[in-house]
Amino acid sequence: MKKSLFALAIALAFGTVASVQAQPAPAAATAPATIDDAQIAHIAYTAGQIDVTAAKQALKKSHNKAVLAFAEEMARDHAAVNEQALALCKKLGVTPADNPTSQALAKAAAAEQVKLAALSGDAYDKAYAANEVAFHQTVNQALSGTLIPSARNEELKSLLETGLKLFESHQMHAEHLAQSLK
Amino acid sequence: MRCTMMVFASLLAMSGWAVAATPPTKAPAAVKAATPAPQVHVIVVDTMQYGPMPTGVRAGDIIEWVNRGILEHTATARDGRFDLDLKPGASARMKATAGTVEVYCKFHPTMVATLVVK
Ligand SMILES: [Cu+2]
Repeated sequence: MKKSLFALAIALAFGTVASVQAQPAPAAATAPATIDDAQIAHIAYTAGQIDVTAAKQALKKSHNKAVLAFAEEMARDHAAVNEQALALCKKLGVTPADNPTSQALAKAAAAEQVKLAALSGDAYDKAYAANEVAFHQTVNQALSGTLIPSARNEELKSLLETGLKLFESHQMHAEHLAQSLK
Repeated sequence: MRCTMMVFASLLAMSGWAVAATPPTKAPAAVKAATPAPQVHVIVVDTMQYGPMPTGVRAGDIIEWVNRGILEHTATARDGRFDLDLKPGASARMKATAGTVEVYCKFHPTMVATLVVK
């Protein structure tokens, strides 16, 4: 499968987290050696927001019934999970903290939006679907490889685990969609 | 997850008011009859999966699907015999018909189950 630049950018963004995680903290390090729950919450929330934004663009641009149904589902599911995440943060007294991974994610997503905006018709539908496959795949890897193992609070961990199940399901749905557009 | 439980509980309560067509689950009246009275089997949907499928379901029994999660799902038969939409906190009832049915969620293809009705 052709990997989009977006997927690569995101992989790099999460790669940063992973490599930071893997390294022992040098004594005089200025950067935090691990990500904390406030940063994890911010990353997960950002990933959800990115998919909602992409879905809203699809709802405006696409005329394909299957693409529109998929986009509606993405917007609905990710908004619901993010609402839950915010409620949990409030309950735990955690303020989601912006961080380099969230920033890299947002930057890559914004660039992808511009690219998708220039496409239309079948070309747009295919690019959106392919991007959704790659995006969910990458976020799944980040959730299972980094975010879930790093989460300290059990409720946050549990919400991320449900999020992973959801993202996996969305990935499969996106793969079916991409296949149907070929 | 006390807060979440409260949200679910209130959603359920709200859906109970809103969905007038769905009466509260009641055990069938203990009427002695030649044929057993139809039973109600509840299947809970939550955290991206269907709860355990009931056993001993007979044709004519009622299946009640209850969505306790925050996401919208469906209970859709692969062979097309039913297709129920389950909004968060909502429930839906159907009459069971004989057969082994593959059930899936139209939105979340990882959600699958097998319902056996005798
Ligand atoms: Cu579902």
